Amino acid sequence: SALSRHCHGLREGQQQSGSGAGSGSDPGAGSGSGSGSARPQPPEPSLLRFLVCPLSKRPLRYEEATNELINEELGIAYPIIDGIPNMVPEAARMTRKEAPAEGSERP
Amino acid sequence: MAAARLCRCRCRALLSRPAGAVRARRGLAAGPEMHFGFQTVTEEERREKIYQVFENVAKKYDVMNDSMTLGIHRVWKDILVHKMNPCPGTLLLDVAGGTGDIAFRFINYVRSVRQRQLQRKLKHHQNLSWQQIFESYQKDEFNSLGDSQVVVCDINREMLKVGKQKAEHLGYSEGLSWVLGNAEELPFDDDKFDVYTIAFGIRNVTRIDLALQEAYRVLKPGGRFLCLEFSHVSNPLLSRLYDLYSFQVIPVLGEVIAGDWRSYQYLVESIRQFPPQEELKAMIEDAGFFKVDYENLNFGIVAIHSGFKL
Repeated sequence: SALSRHCHGLREGQQQSGSGAGSGSDPGAGSGSGSGSARPQPPEPSLLRFLVCPLSKRPLRYEEATNELINEELGIAYPIIDGIPNMVPEAARMTRKEAPAEGSERP
Repeated sequence: MAAARLCRCRCRALLSRPAGAVRARRGLAAGPEMHFGFQTVTEEERREKIYQVFENVAKKYDVMNDSMTLGIHRVWKDILVHKMNPCPGTLLLDVAGGTGDIAFRFINYVRSVRQRQLQRKLKHHQNLSWQQIFESYQKDEFNSLGDSQVVVCDINREMLKVGKQKAEHLGYSEGLSWVLGNAEELPFDDDKFDVYTIAFGIRNVTRIDLALQEAYRVLKPGGRFLCLEFSHVSNPLLSRLYDLYSFQVIPVLGEVIAGDWRSYQYLVESIRQFPPQEELKAMIEDAGFFKVDYENLNFGIVAIHSGFKL
């Protein structure tokens, strides 16, 4: 059975694949850190009202396809794992891969 | 890498776990010296260690709380929610609320207040037919919380997982949300919440001043800040007994119950390192809160600090 992708897999911009396995029943899951279990759970709509980007405090857009909260301005996406949005900057991934976004900050 | 572009100056210190290469490229210093229990560590090391502590104890957190405090922590948390005295419609942000203790108590409290509200309302309607009374019960059934909501925010995924499982197990679903976030950099907009609580969490925050500033930011004007935390015992005899219990009994309990002596050693040391009541009160006032006050419970073993955003 296809194991769910890790958070790191998310960082590379790949989609989560639901394995349909319950948490803890995956033999290979090992650490049981809950990375990408079963089908992606959408966040509660009431929560989306409050959440903003922790860095810029700007509103976020919920992207159903990748189950992420996207800050268009800064081009970052926060993953939602097990229905819990992961709103720390370390966990966010860049949505834009083009040179302009990265080139400007290279000295 | 590109994440560097996103950080403002104030964020630089907060990106605690970047890859080694990133840190070198950005030329970050090791950071100021801080305490981790009785050890001296850098800011980043402290964050890491604390994260590890809670990752290790998450599953046994509640059991340990009960055994260490002989169940009294439940009373402390009850007192906190009673002091809050929320009415239906209150929006609560519970920071560092991992396993959900405060959130569940909040929901129970608001539910019972709402029940009494509904009963009182129905008592006034003397001329209603049974059909109408029945219908009004149905209507208000969907609003058993009166639009109250609690958002639980914690930086540790394991603690949140435990909390979420507890919620499912105990049947809490309505009006409850879980967010993984950093108290020093909350993912919420300004002026949003009626009450902000942090129970036994502020001790583990690396930059308490930033957490207090964030608390001030996300509260509505008129909002209340409540902090429940271990504090200092001034009575010398009691203080000695407390020290004895803390350093001799608690780490042993930690080893026996959770298989983790070190984490509980950290816990008791961190309590000693935490600022005493007056100092914390001053820090809260510095963040902009008014009418800051504290209430000692059990002779100062814990204290509830309260402040208002006006």
